[in-house]
Amino acid sequence: MAGTTGGAASAAGKPRAARSSMFRAVLHSLLLASVALFFLNFNLFGTASASKRFSQDLVYAWFGNEAWLYPRVPPVPPGAAQHAAPPRVVVVMIDEEALALRAARWPVPVEFHAQFLAELEVLRPRAILLDFLLIDAAARQDTCDLLTVASRLRHNGIALYLAVTTPADLEPMDAAACRDASGAVIHPAQVFTPVSVQRQVDGSDFVSRRYPFEQRTATAAAGSGVVSAAVRMYCDAVSAPAACVARLTRARTADAGFELAWSPEGDPFNQRWSHASCIETASPVRAILNQPALPRESPCPPVATLFAAALLDPQADPALGADNQDLFKLADGSFLLVGGNFRGSGDLITTPMHTLLPGVYYHAAALENLLAFDGRPKVRKEFRTPNIGFYAYDLLVLWVLAAIFQWRQAWVQRVHPGDHSPFELSAAARAWLAPLIARCPTPIWIIATAVLLLLLSTYKSLQLIAVAVTVASLVAVELRVAPTAEVRERIRGLQVYLTTMALSLLVIIVAIWVGYRWLRLPPGDWLGYFSFVAFGFFVARTAILEFGRRVDELYVARTTGGGRQ
Amino acid sequence: MKTWLLVALASAAAAAGVPADEPAPADKPAVCPMLNQRILGPRSDERPLPLLAGSAARGFRPACSVLWGTLSPNNQPLKIVDCFRGSLLQVANDAACGPDTGPLWVSARWVITTADKQQPASRTATCQQLETSALAATRELALDCVPKKRPPAEAATPATPAAAAPHP
Repeated sequence: MAGTTGGAASAAGKPRAARSSMFRAVLHSLLLASVALFFLNFNLFGTASASKRFSQDLVYAWFGNEAWLYPRVPPVPPGAAQHAAPPRVVVVMIDEEALALRAARWPVPVEFHAQFLAELEVLRPRAILLDFLLIDAAARQDTCDLLTVASRLRHNGIALYLAVTTPADLEPMDAAACRDASGAVIHPAQVFTPVSVQRQVDGSDFVSRRYPFEQRTATAAAGSGVVSAAVRMYCDAVSAPAACVARLTRARTADAGFELAWSPEGDPFNQRWSHASCIETASPVRAILNQPALPRESPCPPVATLFAAALLDPQADPALGADNQDLFKLADGSFLLVGGNFRGSGDLITTPMHTLLPGVYYHAAALENLLAFDGRPKVRKEFRTPNIGFYAYDLLVLWVLAAIFQWRQAWVQRVHPGDHSPFELSAAARAWLAPLIARCPTPIWIIATAVLLLLLSTYKSLQLIAVAVTVASLVAVELRVAPTAEVRERIRGLQVYLTTMALSLLVIIVAIWVGYRWLRLPPGDWLGYFSFVAFGFFVARTAILEFGRRVDELYVARTTGGGRQ
Repeated sequence: MKTWLLVALASAAAAAGVPADEPAPADKPAVCPMLNQRILGPRSDERPLPLLAGSAARGFRPACSVLWGTLSPNNQPLKIVDCFRGSLLQVANDAACGPDTGPLWVSARWVITTADKQQPASRTATCQQLETSALAATRELALDCVPKKRPPAEAATPATPAAAAPHP
């Protein structure tokens, strides 16, 4: 009977012990994940930020053309009606050649803008942004010409946006007291919507990846600043503009912005003027074989670009059609963003593909992002409210990854107690290699190793070859000296390692996709996740988990009264 | 000495009295081949034509936008009176935007001229380049972008982008 009771207690104790062991493993993986989270966000000298931004750039560099990642408005195929497609974003580029066609010079005079607006009116766009600060003094007649044309465009349903540094920039135009044909004063604020064209750059590399929601001081209330050009243009195009602006600007810090998804491929329309090919054909193999993964973008920009000279002079681009059909197809119902392309003006941005483009493309890309993501662009965790929820999501992902790592380590430990990695050399291989190397005097082999590593650091093309030769040599040594049973175990260990890596990769892909698609997070965390899966957990585990286990043992000993120290 | 002074004074007076020749519009034949031709009509019937007032010397300014019917009430071809850089055509109508505007100009982009009818359709475009200060000096030209050969007078204008700095 006693034996029966003891057997039942033992049988009941086994699941309890298993549950306790499982509970401990879960807690340990949480500890490991939280350490990983801390290190991934440990931003000393901005190092964490640089890694995240590079991860993000790589994603856009290699998949930025894919509709599942960046569902841009597709270019209108020849013969298709423009009205059937969503509105396009078109950059109209003014340069010295265009100014010369109207006897004007840099800086672009107000009277040129007035004429040019009248020319753009023929294209029947949806909206026009003048990405020029009209802060230089102008003759009253020139100001009145501009306001008269602008008033006419506004009357014809074309929204007009003017770049300003502050709303006070419109005051000199107001002072001109221009009047329309009926004698009424034309106020600039009635015809132009003032918009901010301020830019944001990442401090780590000065790349313009973020686009501000509005321009305001840190002390001003959210939503009280000058709304950024792309945000205002997008919101004015939706059914409830005020609600759209409020949704995008509320509860944000003054330096908040949304991420710019960026396509590495040029718009096919630009092939008519671009010296460079607008179709990128680079293979991902380039990124693997020690070739630079960035930049991928060509000087053919991803936004359709119409040079003002081609608009003003049919000889510059007769291919726009005898009846201007290609021109109208491009611009009809589009957002036209008029910017400058002047040598030495300094109005340039570094794009996430790490190439330089005139500043107006910043606003064009932002507007394309808002259109592509239906006004819900990607925003970093630090600009979200409450942002702790998004870091908790990170922790959850790392917890799953840490659990997979723990399971793999448990398997390795069961087969080979004391081993941590399937890539560690076996004792037999070490015992074979050490005497071989020991035939050389210590200074000789250390200096030879140092010289070899110096050469590999200098000549990067040798690195891949060196890694392949080393792996092949070590495998050959293991096969020669290790017992067959151990080789078999190692192959099984490698299979488990690759399986868990594939599983971890799947978890990372799902986590990034959920974060991107539903939480609207930029794809900047995958490299951090992956590096922890590949290497980081090994380091964190020895440092933290062994300590955690020791503490756990002490706690158990104290609570059970064992007193084991 | 007195004779010399008289000759000098007479020469100076003669020089002052005779007006210097106006600078010859050397580029007119080169860049305005459409003079003595006519505007036949708009490229697109239903779109208004933006008209400019002014001149190259005083600057151009927008005058008004009108349909072709206003510019040419009888739908007759309009004589091209003057031309600026081959792209801006002065029309024989100075009243379409009301009085006091002076001669009116229209962009060749929006109208068809007799010269257009004489020229075969072309796919030639002028290759442009974005000024990013970091582009390669020599890049392959794409097949679709055929550089247009400009007349010598116009080719010297600073608007033609020069070679940029080599790619870093």
